[in-house]
Amino acid sequence: MQERKLPVEELLLPHLDGAYNLARWITESDADAQIVVEEVYAQASKQEFGQEDARVRLLTIVRNRAYTWIRQHSGHSSPKDREESAGQSPPPLSGNKRTRDLHIALSKLAVELREILVLSEIEGWSYTQLASALDLPMTGVTSRLRQARLRLRQEIAEAQRKGLPE
Amino acid sequence: MNCEEVDHLLDAYLDRELQAGQKVLLEQHLSGCPACQSLVWEFQEFRSFFKANAPVYPAPPQLRAKILTKLRRKGVKRRDTFFRQPWVYAAAMLILGMCLLTALLPDQGKALTTQAVRRYIESLSTGRLVDIASDDPQALKPWFVEKINFAPPVADLLASRYTLLGGRTDLIQNRSVAALVYRYDSRIVTLFCWPPTHEQLATGNHSIEGCNAYTWSSAECNYIVVSKLDQRELDAFVDAIRDRAEYENSGS
Repeated sequence: MQERKLPVEELLLPHLDGAYNLARWITESDADAQIVVEEVYAQASKQEFGQEDARVRLLTIVRNRAYTWIRQHSGHSSPKDREESAGQSPPPLSGNKRTRDLHIALSKLAVELREILVLSEIEGWSYTQLASALDLPMTGVTSRLRQARLRLRQEIAEAQRKGLPE
Repeated sequence: MNCEEVDHLLDAYLDRELQAGQKVLLEQHLSGCPACQSLVWEFQEFRSFFKANAPVYPAPPQLRAKILTKLRRKGVKRRDTFFRQPWVYAAAMLILGMCLLTALLPDQGKALTTQAVRRYIESLSTGRLVDIASDDPQALKPWFVEKINFAPPVADLLASRYTLLGGRTDLIQNRSVAALVYRYDSRIVTLFCWPPTHEQLATGNHSIEGCNAYTWSSAECNYIVVSKLDQRELDAFVDAIRDRAEYENSGS
């Protein structure tokens, strides 16, 4: 019981990439994601974190803060901006056409669908963790994930159809 | 389980979140349905493609640096505060005490002095200067003890041209006080004193209603001198009383 007393920086810093990535996915903006993450870390450093649940709890705070942020700043970046940023900025593998289509498709998904994809596919969260973080019943998690994957594939197909001349 | 049901459960199946019973049924169906098998393959392929190619954004170095600095500063501050806490409380108490002394007591002292001045003026106008006319400390002290259970330091100041006329008891803000009455030339000087049980008077000069007053206090006694003496004369009187009081204390 006693060994979980780690300094807050050692507990939270390893999750910075994950926190930023999630904020970036939700806000779709580097600047916004940085603000959100900075705020969350300032807030989280005043709380007690257990070693085991630090990441999930931290990312849940990031997620909620990012939502508040986009709600407060809706209209801040237009869908067109998003499309452009999704089309131009993704890191490493952007050369591949299919990858570019994936990025475009992602940027067209509703934020709830993007979010559940990153938490499930990239973070590898269980349905139980998703249900608690997203405040959904288990059936809600199942159907939202299913919907997210379905929509994503539809959008990719759409992007492929549009991008055929290339 | 039919194909439609499989389609609905396939995500949960691939996420390994399907309940054991349903998993068995689904796998039974898969083993006999090539269409659903290829769907599984398609789903899996898409997932690995997604995982490999979905944008993952690492935190920008400047963000990391900023947060690191903040966390470290906070960490240091916390430890600091922790160790300093007792001192913070002590300092707070000290400040509170000083506030009480500087803000509350002068007001209290001022109120007491004002009342003392009124008693002094009253005694002049009614002519009730003393209840016991005596310049003998040996007579005055027991008299006060009997009246107010307190023996004021009685100083015979004849050598300094102050004539002790005697004493009376008085009330200042509900405190029974001893009043020692002296005459200097034709002017009356009254020394009010009482034990410092409730307060310690701050040392200071007051000029109230045409009278000069001086307050101070010792471990045994609070003093208010009220007179029509000028400032310099009053200072001389106070010096004489204090010298005498010290002499008396060291003598006993």
